[in-house]
Amino acid sequence: MAAGPRTPGLDGPASDAILALGRYFSRWEETDDGRAVFREGGRKGDVFYRDRWSHDKVVRSTHGVNCTGSCSWKVYVKDGIITWETQQTDYPSVGPDRPEYEPRGCPRGAAFSWYTYSPTRVRYPYARGVLLEMYREARSRLKDPVLAWADVVGDPERRRTYQQARGKGGLVRISWREAVEIAAAAHVHTIKAYGPDRCAGFSPIPAMSMVSHCVGTRFIQLIGGVMTSFYDWYADLPVASPQVFGDQTDVPESGDWWDATYLMMWGSNVPVTRTPDAHWMTEVRYRGTKVVSVSPDYADNTKFADDWLPAQAGTDAALAMAMGHVILKECYVDRTVPFFEDFARRYTDLPFLVTLQEHPDGLGLVPGKFLTEADLLGGTDPDSDWKTVLLDSATGQPAVPNGSLGFRYSASGEGKWNLDLGDVVPALSCRDGQAGESAEVLLPCFEAADGSGSVLRRGVPVRRVAGRMVTTVLDLMLAQYGVGREGLPGQWAAGYDDPATPYTPAWQEEITSVPAAKCIRIAREFAKNSEDSGGRSMIIMGAGICQWFHGDATYRSILSLLLLTGAMGRNGGGWAHYVGQEKCRPLTGWLSLANALDWSRPPRTMIGTGYWYMHTDQWRSDGYSTDALNSPLAEGHLKGMHTADTIAQSARLGWMPFYPQFNRNPLEVADDAAAAVDGGRAADPAAYIAEQLQSGQLRSAVEDVDAPENWPRTLILWRSNLLGSSAKGSEYFNKHLLGTVNNVMRSEDGSEIRPRDVAWHDEAPEGKLDLLVSADFRMTSTTLLSDLVFPAATWYEKHDLSSTDMHPFVHAFSPAIDPPWEAKTDFDTFHLLAEEFSRQARTHLGVRRDLVSVPLQHDTPGETAQPGGVVRDWRDGATPLQPGRNAPVFTVVERDYTAIADKLAAVGPLADTLGFTVKGVTYRMDHETARLAGANGVMFGGAADGRPAIDTDAKLAEAILSFSGTTNGELAVQGFRELERRTGRKLADLAEGSEEKRVSFAQTQAAPVPVITSPEWSGSETGGRRYAPFTVNVERLKPWHTLTGRMHFFLDHDWLRDVGEALPIYRPPLDMHRLFGEPRLGADGAAEITLRYLTPHSKWSIHSEYQDNLLMLSLSRGGPTLWMSPVDAGAIGVADNDWVECVNANGVLVARAIVSHRMPEGVAYVYHAQERTIDVPKSETTGRRGGIHNSVTRLLVKPTHLVGGYAQLSYAFNYLGPTGNQRDMVSTVRKRSQEVRY
Amino acid sequence: MALLDILLWGVLPYVMVAVLVGGSIWRYRYDQFGWTTRSSQLYESRLLRIGSPLFHFGLLFVIAGHFFGLVIPMAWTEAVGMSQGIYHFNALLVGSLAGICTLGGLAILIYRRRRTGPVFMATTRNDKLMYVVLAAAILLGLWTTVASIGAPETPQNNYRETVSPWFRSLFILQPDIGAMAEAPFSFHLHTLVGMALFTLWPFTRLVHAFTAPLHYLFRPYIVYRSRDERPVAGARARQRGWSQVGTADRDR
Repeated sequence: MAAGPRTPGLDGPASDAILALGRYFSRWEETDDGRAVFREGGRKGDVFYRDRWSHDKVVRSTHGVNCTGSCSWKVYVKDGIITWETQQTDYPSVGPDRPEYEPRGCPRGAAFSWYTYSPTRVRYPYARGVLLEMYREARSRLKDPVLAWADVVGDPERRRTYQQARGKGGLVRISWREAVEIAAAAHVHTIKAYGPDRCAGFSPIPAMSMVSHCVGTRFIQLIGGVMTSFYDWYADLPVASPQVFGDQTDVPESGDWWDATYLMMWGSNVPVTRTPDAHWMTEVRYRGTKVVSVSPDYADNTKFADDWLPAQAGTDAALAMAMGHVILKECYVDRTVPFFEDFARRYTDLPFLVTLQEHPDGLGLVPGKFLTEADLLGGTDPDSDWKTVLLDSATGQPAVPNGSLGFRYSASGEGKWNLDLGDVVPALSCRDGQAGESAEVLLPCFEAADGSGSVLRRGVPVRRVAGRMVTTVLDLMLAQYGVGREGLPGQWAAGYDDPATPYTPAWQEEITSVPAAKCIRIAREFAKNSEDSGGRSMIIMGAGICQWFHGDATYRSILSLLLLTGAMGRNGGGWAHYVGQEKCRPLTGWLSLANALDWSRPPRTMIGTGYWYMHTDQWRSDGYSTDALNSPLAEGHLKGMHTADTIAQSARLGWMPFYPQFNRNPLEVADDAAAAVDGGRAADPAAYIAEQLQSGQLRSAVEDVDAPENWPRTLILWRSNLLGSSAKGSEYFNKHLLGTVNNVMRSEDGSEIRPRDVAWHDEAPEGKLDLLVSADFRMTSTTLLSDLVFPAATWYEKHDLSSTDMHPFVHAFSPAIDPPWEAKTDFDTFHLLAEEFSRQARTHLGVRRDLVSVPLQHDTPGETAQPGGVVRDWRDGATPLQPGRNAPVFTVVERDYTAIADKLAAVGPLADTLGFTVKGVTYRMDHETARLAGANGVMFGGAADGRPAIDTDAKLAEAILSFSGTTNGELAVQGFRELERRTGRKLADLAEGSEEKRVSFAQTQAAPVPVITSPEWSGSETGGRRYAPFTVNVERLKPWHTLTGRMHFFLDHDWLRDVGEALPIYRPPLDMHRLFGEPRLGADGAAEITLRYLTPHSKWSIHSEYQDNLLMLSLSRGGPTLWMSPVDAGAIGVADNDWVECVNANGVLVARAIVSHRMPEGVAYVYHAQERTIDVPKSETTGRRGGIHNSVTRLLVKPTHLVGGYAQLSYAFNYLGPTGNQRDMVSTVRKRSQEVRY
Repeated sequence: MALLDILLWGVLPYVMVAVLVGGSIWRYRYDQFGWTTRSSQLYESRLLRIGSPLFHFGLLFVIAGHFFGLVIPMAWTEAVGMSQGIYHFNALLVGSLAGICTLGGLAILIYRRRRTGPVFMATTRNDKLMYVVLAAAILLGLWTTVASIGAPETPQNNYRETVSPWFRSLFILQPDIGAMAEAPFSFHLHTLVGMALFTLWPFTRLVHAFTAPLHYLFRPYIVYRSRDERPVAGARARQRGWSQVGTADRDR
């Protein structure tokens, strides 16, 4: 606006005149410009507002909702009623010259207190009416709860009756006493009849409320039950993280975004899904940082971006590969960048040697395995199998540098497990220093949209070492990316504008639709920034790219950009993967107490995806074999295998866990083993099991998972809404696990491909589960399907702890009010359950031995069990079964079932004698348990006589903090000292000076407390530094927990080579038409259109929480909605707000269409997780009520996620496992009758 | 004089006034935070922009017309030379115009209230009753106006000789019941519904008419108010205990 001459007065002559009139009739004192008037008094109305904002107390608490916020809130209480909440503002300062963490919070959190007194609140314990009647009848007849339960579930007819009533209402109010009695009886009966590994529990994300998670998990583990994992199950777990780093999700706090000078957001909608942290992203722009977003839709974060790369959904790896092509060509071939090369030599596997071997079918040379010291020496030292080799460019000779896995556990490696190269200067390429031979290699490629593979012929320089032809990983990378060098054989890209050769910018344009020129420019900027800033290029990555079937391949292609540009282990640089509130900062305390490692080891932990895939019978209609995924260069390790077979083999070889373990009760198996050992028929129980398994007398449960003896029988859910939120293939859950009404469309008989190792039952079981128990404070899809519902305390009604990846603080939940009505905290609920369980166990169980089978674990010597990643199955008839080598580890655990309650409430003796081990570092706890006994007191009498008490939630919180290095400086220093002995590097100074610092629970209640640098994590907060991962590795030369001790581009396990993913690669989204016969994408000219069905995270809810909250319903459209583009909507005649139906083989969803220009063509968004509790009408397709957002999804297991027993590719809970991905789904969308019925 | 006439035109008006005044005082004392129009502009503004001014300005003219017809005696207008014909023509023209504007505005507002989901959700039963009575009053008023076009020129039909004297007589507490009883049925009905509206008034959103912030137009934009000299009634009492430390509020 042009600034004209200012006229005196207000807004013009008219308003002046009116004002003059007013002035004529009354007198007032006013300012010179006549804009303000002064009056005296008249503030009686203030009283109301003053009273409105005066409260009886203000309590610090937070929300445990897996939003990653971990925001501290003030909860206001007046007259014993929670009125509302506001943001806390007392986060410790992050120092001068940068913004602060506060304010943290979002509208969803601010709406939480609505739940306290809402109509959806669970106020009393409930039981399924029909079940309760049967139980009461049997109970009065048999006079014993366990016998009564056995009587009800032992009768198939009565069992089916209450199972079929699930989800159809009929919950009746009962007393706590009776509810706990039924739940305990079901567990005692199941353990007695089938075994403790038929009792399961699921509760995700410990960081969002550690005490609640800990107490229930502890109960499950004490009775020998199974806890299923969540991180991989949620598909939040990036499998690329173990593959590349040997570590799971260590990421920078959001305050470190401020340190970035180039910030990409790749598949992560920061303002919507990281709302309290988004301010750092907007603020750092004022520092001159360039912000780039990659998203298929015009997402909220795209508005903040300087550049937008709208890659088509699921094609991100093509873009990343092309960017890698540019970086490799311009920074590794045309020119060398000392900063990048130094980084690559020291911290990545790029200089390591890989053998080239003839393909068994004589097709040509293919990359084989890493060259190891064993290849050089031919010796018999088992450690040399794990020492990888590189070329020293100074001498031209092979050298075995420190830091590989062979140095980690061996006696000879003591003090040498580090990245100190000494005088060795690793040669990045076999060409370095001298020109020599070259050879043509074959590399797999998957550029066809249907996912089928082709073969690329590329050349690499080679050397001959110890009689083997070898090349370096960098040489293979250049070949893979198609970056040619002079004099090498093979076909190469003609230039960036070559659209026909994979991984050029022009090639990716045809797949992603991102202009080649833009791809080149961003790649150059990214690398240049890293070179100029010392690695301060950062990529925030998220669920938009992680949760695809091939998300691991996509991640590796993107991580490669960071590794190639030296941007890892830097403040302001590296990967920033934020999917799920994963970081439980007081890790050791939580992990050890939750798994009850102070009383018995090992615990039973299970890969969630494998568990649900098998037990909900989704495998029965998974009609494709691994051949559809294999590379054309596959050597047959996965040939013709059904996905269920890969799970069975993985369990058999000790790679991944599977429960139930055997087709028999492990208590009886343990007794038989003891008898055999006593009778001299076996050396030890493990040998007895090995013999039984190999002879076929004992069978893995997974191999006949549908047999009734192998069904899971009880399931406890708390802090979780499994069936309303994360249950991919939810209709299969309803059908097979719960045995109630469902919308599964197709009968599984359509599946021709049957597993080889897993038995097929013509009649698929329906209703495997005897008892589903849930504890929640609101009615969800899960509670409505449950047999027993416990009323839980909300986050404003209990003591607990919270932490997150996003900030470095630990802070408390505190009760603003006592749990109202009959609600109880999870802590109290599980203690009640444990007491009743122990009481019933006195009659029915007593003290038993339990044979526990667990896989080979990461960060233990077990990960060196299978050298070379070569698959040798003991089933082949020739290989002997060796527990702990090529099979699981078998251990006998004694369980005193009468003492579960005692043990639950006290810290057990193993804490003193064995200490607690996390990530390969053992912490001695004797000092801490003594101190805790002083602080908390000790238990008196019973099995835990004299042991430190953790019999209240506050005391358990204190114990978690006491037993963790991040919150106990003494332990941090102790852990670093131990690590110093192994690495020979100085580390303890990172925590020295903090020995006396202990974060107590009281401190976390007073204000958020920053954590202490500890070996539990890979970054440093020392000296008030912002946390960034791997800074300790980079700055202190501590190895990554991988095969080479470096970050990996190359993975040489047999299975990874067979699916063609030895190197970073692009894999298109799964072709659901080819695999499952779903319609092809696009409109069919009739009234329906087939779209990619994506379930991103919502602006108005956190998972299923808040989507039923009145305030959020008012802010959003409310109820189930589906977003689609105007073009797609137009093709089927849908207008905004019309009712539509999404249908595919898995189920049906009924929703209102939101037609928005923000959506790209060909894609539908159905926000995660829209439950059936709000406005879900009956579907036209089935006549039954439409399902949740997961009704049209199903589980797809990627076999390479099941690899184990091999260095970083080894199992640990929530570290590695198959992801429950759901992004590759397609669904038919059609307009339905606008008259809906409920 | 029939008993019914006494009740309707001699008693009821005073009951109405008692309820209107007493109710308003009660409402102001006990429900000051409910003294609001409960604006729904946030939910819908397109129709509101047309309907609301049309209705409200129309209503101002209707009120002015009522004043002209009821308060100013016929003798006065004749004294200044305005014949009954001219008066009647004028009243018909302006009255119909104002009435139609008001009615049209109200129709838009009711349509909007019914068809816009969030607005309808925010509509109480109290509102619905008020709308019925308000709409009836306006409709009947318009009917009396229109009906007078074809009606024979009898003294009974001329409300200035029946309704108006009765209206004025109410204020001197000597209600001219007979005059009112003479008036035609349509006027009776309109008057009764009008009285019902005023009886309802204090208990509905209509109270906002009493507190239309007209003075805002005549004062500067910003008002600074000093604290009251003494703690006002209902304010939090000084807490018992030690005297406060720190800096006192600045001296006044």
